[in-house]
Amino acid sequence: MLADFIETIVKILVVVVVLLTGFAYMTWFERRVIARLQVRIGPNRVGPEGLLQPLADGVKLFFKEDIIPAEADKALYLLAPMLAVVPSLLAAAVLPFGPDVTLFGRTIHLYIADINIALLYFLGLGSLGVYSVVLAGWASNNKYALLGGLRASAQMISYELAMGLSVLAVVMLTGSFSLVDIVEAQAGGRWFVLMQPLAFIIFVITMLAETKRAPFDLPEAEQELVAGFHTEYSGMKFALFYMGEYIGMIVISGVAVSLFLGGWQGPFAEQIPLLGVLYFFLKVAVFMFFFVWMRATLPRLRYDRLMQLGWKVLLPLSLANVVVTALAVVARDTGFFGLLG
Amino acid sequence: MQINWADTSFLLAPEILLTVGALIVLVLDLLIEDDTSPVLPGFTLLALVSAFGAAAAHLVTGVDDVALFMFAADPLTHFFRLLGIGTALLVLLVSVNYVQARSKHTGEFYSLLLWVTLAVVLVAGAHDLILLYLAFEFLSITSYVLVGWLRDDARSNEGAMKYLLFGAISSALMLYGMSLLYGATGTTRLTEIAAFFTIPETQITGLYSIVVPALVFLLAGIGFKISLVPFHQWAPDAYEGAPTPVAAFLSVGSKSAGFAVLARVLLEAMPAFQEHWTSLLVVLSILTMTLGNLVALRQTNMKRLLAYSSIAQAGYILMGLAAYSAGATFPADGLSGVLIYLVAYLFTNVGVFIGAVIFEQATGSVAISDYAGLIRRSPWLAFTFVVFFLSLAGLPPTAGFVGKLAVFYATVAKGLYFLAIIGVLNSVVSVYYYFNVIRQMFFMPAPEGAERVRMPASMGLALAISFVGTLLIGFYPEPFLNLANMSRDFISALPLL
Amino acid sequence: MTLEQGIFILASLLMLGSALAMVTARSMFVAALWMIGTFAGVAVLFILLNAGFLGIVQILIYIGAIAVLILFAIMLTPDVMGLKPGPRYTGQWPLAAVMASTLAAVIVLLLVRAGNDWHIADAAPNVTDFAVQLGEAFMTTYLLPFEVASGVLLVALIGALVIVRDE
Repeated sequence: MLADFIETIVKILVVVVVLLTGFAYMTWFERRVIARLQVRIGPNRVGPEGLLQPLADGVKLFFKEDIIPAEADKALYLLAPMLAVVPSLLAAAVLPFGPDVTLFGRTIHLYIADINIALLYFLGLGSLGVYSVVLAGWASNNKYALLGGLRASAQMISYELAMGLSVLAVVMLTGSFSLVDIVEAQAGGRWFVLMQPLAFIIFVITMLAETKRAPFDLPEAEQELVAGFHTEYSGMKFALFYMGEYIGMIVISGVAVSLFLGGWQGPFAEQIPLLGVLYFFLKVAVFMFFFVWMRATLPRLRYDRLMQLGWKVLLPLSLANVVVTALAVVARDTGFFGLLG
Repeated sequence: MQINWADTSFLLAPEILLTVGALIVLVLDLLIEDDTSPVLPGFTLLALVSAFGAAAAHLVTGVDDVALFMFAADPLTHFFRLLGIGTALLVLLVSVNYVQARSKHTGEFYSLLLWVTLAVVLVAGAHDLILLYLAFEFLSITSYVLVGWLRDDARSNEGAMKYLLFGAISSALMLYGMSLLYGATGTTRLTEIAAFFTIPETQITGLYSIVVPALVFLLAGIGFKISLVPFHQWAPDAYEGAPTPVAAFLSVGSKSAGFAVLARVLLEAMPAFQEHWTSLLVVLSILTMTLGNLVALRQTNMKRLLAYSSIAQAGYILMGLAAYSAGATFPADGLSGVLIYLVAYLFTNVGVFIGAVIFEQATGSVAISDYAGLIRRSPWLAFTFVVFFLSLAGLPPTAGFVGKLAVFYATVAKGLYFLAIIGVLNSVVSVYYYFNVIRQMFFMPAPEGAERVRMPASMGLALAISFVGTLLIGFYPEPFLNLANMSRDFISALPLL
Repeated sequence: MTLEQGIFILASLLMLGSALAMVTARSMFVAALWMIGTFAGVAVLFILLNAGFLGIVQILIYIGAIAVLILFAIMLTPDVMGLKPGPRYTGQWPLAAVMASTLAAVIVLLLVRAGNDWHIADAAPNVTDFAVQLGEAFMTTYLLPFEVASGVLLVALIGALVIVRDE
């Protein structure tokens, strides 16, 4: 009992530390990669290759003046940045980042919790993420912030539907909401991206929209909205929004990897568990690069186009995908004639 | 748990026809550009007629079974199916011209008419509290939309809003009552609830005290649909604001669905508590008819008058349920009285609303004073109005007389003399305001230069059907009495699940 | 007091407190936010009853979708956002207070009188295939209500479009 408790605490600490470090170095990575893509150099002065830059940024933000606008709703203004980080951190609990490890005679699962509704849990927490932007937008008492908040929440709830439906196809194939089961069902290279290419594409697009990344970064479109919902935020509160965004990116990439790219599965991962962990992080890293690459490549969508894409393209497509998958699952389980009843 | 699809689709044939019809109308509406195309109402008519036919076939062949564990396809349901679909048929005939003239969304209107009919039918057959609640909400939500259909008309918006707010509260109360019942009995099936209370009293004494509060909460929800006092306040505003054909549907279709639920809940789930609910019903009935009639006296708007009149009518119908006695047969049985009254009320009340629609369509007015001299402007319309008002007042030789006779007889036979006396007094009061309208039509001069009131063929047909129905029941009630008697046998016939 | 009872009491306090704060809030926006507290309490109760699926669905749908839409509607309504917060109480509050306390009294009386006779269902077994069982129930015993619910939603959707959409 006590050992289990300690094990869980240790795992939680490790995951949180990894996510926070990941967030810090993701900012460095993004600035460097974008600089390269734009034939610039990027931050390279603080430490070797600029590796200490995130630390310097962190120290700077700590000492920035913390401003709360006079007419702001103080409680909500403080709550909003916390809500940006907490759901993303919580969602990481259901990610399986490696196969079982035996350590000091104990079998240790490399996930914090295997709950049978893990995917719903993830989607549920994702839907809570909307509140950080809504509240930030409203509590700032600033028109740009309010507009940014409105845009962000409209965008997030629109794309959540298509995301949920694309995930549903995978759930139907495995018959489980648990990410652990889903990863195990993909053993031997039977990655779901091969069976569900459409669902994968939809998931990747919606995942960009859910994290409010380019080309779906309208909520913070600087040309029209200054900085969108976090216009009024400064210092560490501002940093928290960034932290929420980047941790969200990491976690959602982890979910995408587990759903479609076999999670930690890979050659010899069963024999050498650390290899599984490595595979998982490499796959996540590919997604992180993808996020940056998209930002450097694609221009921002127009707002009505964004809504059209969500409601008129992605939603019907993912619905159709669900229907086709359902038919295929029935045919698989009962033979072709099962379809006839 | 296996579902026998062949049986299910047979038992639910009217519902399936309505659903498919409603969906097809929606799709057709996308394909057909022309809002005045006869295809949409034609198809709606087809769906209603076929569903009516299926329900009639069920009734004639005496189908009596439970579909999908929760829907009782028994004679009582067949009866209310015919009633609901019949109302929708008449309403459809008058709404074609009315809606085309006032709204751009005709296709959606027909589709919603089919949905609301489906909701009425589902409510009537619901045999489980869960289905009952959902079907009730289905009916309510569709009705809110239909009442607010005239979006540029402030009265329509106001009516829909009041209806919505009232509906939300009363359905919350009803849900609470249901949760009490479920908490007490551990089941949502109506017959199982009744069975639970046959457990010897010594074991569940505490639970008996839950039933009456639960019943009161349920009555709040059902009473809202029937517009019983004190849950009636929405009715005048909703009727006044709603498109008049919709008001006709609300006053008959939706109200009879409420009575179906009331009959089912009281007789199937709570037969053991008859003495409790009888006294509740007596009080509600007296309040409802008295208030309805007294306020109706002061109305100057035809639709509001009819709203209060139909509140009063609900009070009379409720007398029948109060006078229910399990062993009795017609004419001493209150339930048969309720059913025959509802048939009479269907033709009469829809008829009088159709008259109002025709008048409104021709003159654009709903004020009673504008009915002056109608005898010169359209003798036929004026004459049918007289018959309908006679029937509403319960005078021979009309359908309303037969219905009132049945209900009052049962009330006396049950020994509820006080209730019967109040009922008769109320009928006398109602004669005054009904005849006030007739006085306007016959003895007041028409305004200078008033034109004849013309009616489109479909409206004329609907008027004629209601007219014939009202007189037919008055002169030759036997087949309708038989129908009512057949349908009231459901309680003994229903298997205990 | 067991841990479960403690959580139950905390969740109930959260629900009731939020509900009270909601009805007494002077600004619509704040009232809508308090409503989320009530939803969250319900979700906790579901999870406490071994119905984790329902708990998460409660969060996903009520907190994640419905409450957001309500906030949305409020933020997009200029009359509500621009106005100063309204009075905390309207003139009807004494009547409402009487009604509410009567209702509360009736409920308490019921609970006391029913005593130990309440029909108490067994605790839901903590099954792993909860979603599977729920799905099967929706496709068999509860098929009809399930379909009726879809009808309700369709009608609400059509109705909203007809009443609201610009022509």
